[in-house]
Amino acid sequence: MAHDAISHDKQLPADLGAPAFVDGWKSRALIVGGISMCIAILLIFLGNAQDHLGFDHFYRAWALGTMVTWGLCVGGLALLMVQYCSGGKWGLLLRRPLEAMSRTLPLIVIYWLGMAAGMKRIYLWAQYTNAEATAKALKAGVINELQAHCLDFKRPMLNPDAFLSVSFLCFAIWGFYTWRLNALGLKRDSEGPETTPYWIKKLENISGPGIVVYAITMTAAAIYWVMSMDPTWYSSVYGLLFLVGQGYATLAFSIIVAVSLSKAEPFKTILRQTEQHDLGKLTFAFVMLNIYLAFGQFLIIWSGNLPDEINWYLDRIRGGWGVIITLDFIFHWLIPFTMLLSRDLKRNKKRIVRVCQWMIFARAFDMFWLIEPNFKDAARNLHFSWGILEYIAVPVALFSFWVAYFCTQLKTRPLVQVNDPHLAEILEPEHVHA
Amino acid sequence: MPAREGTYGLLAEFDTPSDLVRAARQARQDGWRRMECYTPYPVEEAAEAIGFHRNKVPLLTLIGGLMGGAAMFALETWISVLAYPLNIGGRPTYSWPAFIVPAYEWTILWAGLSAAFGMLALNGLPSLYHPLFNAPNFRDGATTDKFFLCLEALDPKFDLAETKAYLAQFQPNSVVEVEY
Repeated sequence: MAHDAISHDKQLPADLGAPAFVDGWKSRALIVGGISMCIAILLIFLGNAQDHLGFDHFYRAWALGTMVTWGLCVGGLALLMVQYCSGGKWGLLLRRPLEAMSRTLPLIVIYWLGMAAGMKRIYLWAQYTNAEATAKALKAGVINELQAHCLDFKRPMLNPDAFLSVSFLCFAIWGFYTWRLNALGLKRDSEGPETTPYWIKKLENISGPGIVVYAITMTAAAIYWVMSMDPTWYSSVYGLLFLVGQGYATLAFSIIVAVSLSKAEPFKTILRQTEQHDLGKLTFAFVMLNIYLAFGQFLIIWSGNLPDEINWYLDRIRGGWGVIITLDFIFHWLIPFTMLLSRDLKRNKKRIVRVCQWMIFARAFDMFWLIEPNFKDAARNLHFSWGILEYIAVPVALFSFWVAYFCTQLKTRPLVQVNDPHLAEILEPEHVHA
Repeated sequence: MPAREGTYGLLAEFDTPSDLVRAARQARQDGWRRMECYTPYPVEEAAEAIGFHRNKVPLLTLIGGLMGGAAMFALETWISVLAYPLNIGGRPTYSWPAFIVPAYEWTILWAGLSAAFGMLALNGLPSLYHPLFNAPNFRDGATTDKFFLCLEALDPKFDLAETKAYLAQFQPNSVVEVEY
């Protein structure tokens, strides 16, 4: 005789708001951020006293911090759109944290303004804005012939005006999608279950094209903000590498948030081992895709061995950088890969959080390898200076402030969307569905 | 193996995985060890309920993968460095980046094959005969919509009448005696 399956379903608690300890995370993040920012400012002066690059390193590290937090912000937006299109219980689980991540966009704009303020220190094309200036710099030996040629040739694209307008356009587009999805997400909950089919279609129709638009705008931003730090080099897989990197970090961060929230209601009820395992598997896929694209890019450029491409890698391999790229390979791929292979680890809350924290660090480490060798003082010459420590202080500060802002956003709405057919499934015991 | 005779076990049929898991858990708790669950799709909790133990498939997969990768890398190195050294674009004969892709493919291939065939071998497959197929309801339901718990006669607690009554308390659709 069959028993009533509903009898052992779990019940959703009455209060779906974020638990009180989110405020604790926020204040802790603010303290860490404040201290790191003080250290970062101190390091500017130490760096200036040592090699006059204090401000340069500060802005480079600022760019790194902006890229990491930006990745989490628009990565959250992208994953939000993906889960609307793909469906799945993991999507319902992460919906509100992802919405909160996407709503951090205003902070990213502020970070980016900081980057734009230091434009002249991080982009050669912002320093030499016309052919005259390039010629003069070439004569003085500040830049080489290849750089001078590329700066002049790429000027229609790489100039401060284009940089600002493309960036603002991208922010406007992301802002539009963030506003739309967040507003509709809330509206959906205020309506009854009879509207569910309408909402599923509606959000699918916004998100589907949104993913394509995101991929294009994100590529443009990655090219302007990071790739153009070296005006001589280009790679067609660059945008995709950033996209996968954002998925990598965003999933890692989402797992940390979901598991940490599960210490209290409502996530205590809705985070099941099944979905945690699923998220672990999805993260594992991104770990694989990431090394696949990164190695693919390297293999193609290495095979071509062309003088205008290979220098980018030589800048990042020779002069001590070989150590960094080897560590990058270990940190970014080998460790997450071997760890996430394990089924037990993916189902263990404590351990999967450790791995995910490590992955966010690895993402920042990879970004260090991408950014620092763009500059003359560091290319093919890895050396210690006070300024290098900015790469720890500034990103930690920016990331902490971002986490604090994220917590504020997380608290503004209930943590579970109730107008969704997946909700009933996620409350069922785990063995009901395969 | 000499042909066995007598009772293989008692097979209880359930309609839902929840009922199966509940019965299996209770039986395990009551000291049953020689038992098995049969479901139309993987039910992880059922495996856990009857004391799922580790098997050697992951180890076989790892060994297979490492051997595949090492073998291909060694083959490429032997061809390019020793057997047929060629100057390709002035690169050293030992150009490891180019060796990675085939070595990786072989890692995947051999890990996959080891997992699949290792799983079959450790499961005792292919097997031409299994006593459970003597039960008509098992033949019809095990791959469609029924969930089965079998308490085997090899368990020291097994007693035909007592076990039948014991299974009945879980309110299964039926309890069938399965012959070897």
